[in-house]
Amino acid sequence: MQPHSIRDSASLASIFWFTAIFLAIFLMAGCATEVNNPALERARESYTHARQDRDLVARAGVALERARLTLEQAERVWTADKDVVEVEHLAYLAEKRVEIARAVARRRLAVEELQRMGTR
Amino acid sequence: MRFQAISLLLGAFALTGIGCSTAQPPTRILSDAELNLRAASEARADDLAPMDLQGAREKLVASRKAMQENKYEDARRLAENAQVEAELATAKAEAEIARRTADIVRHRLDPQRSDNERPSTSQPAPTANKE
Repeated sequence: MQPHSIRDSASLASIFWFTAIFLAIFLMAGCATEVNNPALERARESYTHARQDRDLVARAGVALERARLTLEQAERVWTADKDVVEVEHLAYLAEKRVEIARAVARRRLAVEELQRMGTR
Repeated sequence: MRFQAISLLLGAFALTGIGCSTAQPPTRILSDAELNLRAASEARADDLAPMDLQGAREKLVASRKAMQENKYEDARRLAENAQVEAELATAKAEAEIARRTADIVRHRLDPQRSDNERPSTSQPAPTANKE
């Protein structure tokens, strides 16, 4: 009788540990899965696209840097709080900052052309 | 004693709740947004980036309204939107002024080449921003 009950308790313990490990892995996988935010993704894409434009970086580096800082703030809020309203707001600001950088680059381009024409 | 402990706990929870929901009035952000709007007007954004400027003005009005209703978080977000949209209007207006100036100078230096390059310059240029 005694060996039988020891075997029972051993199998119960193994079932318990198996379930615990399975649950832990399941929960960790759940935490690791990144939940997407469309507004944040749009802002990220807009910034990345602008960053790849060498002329834009050369002519409006500071304006683009401001866009990056706002985007990073949005990323931080999303990771820490998942505050959808605030993240969408910051993503909107980041997108507008990319647009500002594009306008600054256009102005610099025109000014450069004016300078070239002035020295002709 | 038990009652006192429960009251103390409830009080602490209530205070935490108030702390979370109360935001400061965003007066500085609002005045920054007003300044940005004035700068946009001075940069001729009314003519050259009217849509962005109009958007910024609407956000500023909405922000003031939210302030009056003590909705400070909404007021802050709206003021920040107004600020960035006014900044965008200024940047677009300045870019457009520079582009038009470059067009004029190019045309004066070499009218024939300029006409060939930009056949549409004989038509009146649109006043609204194109982006």
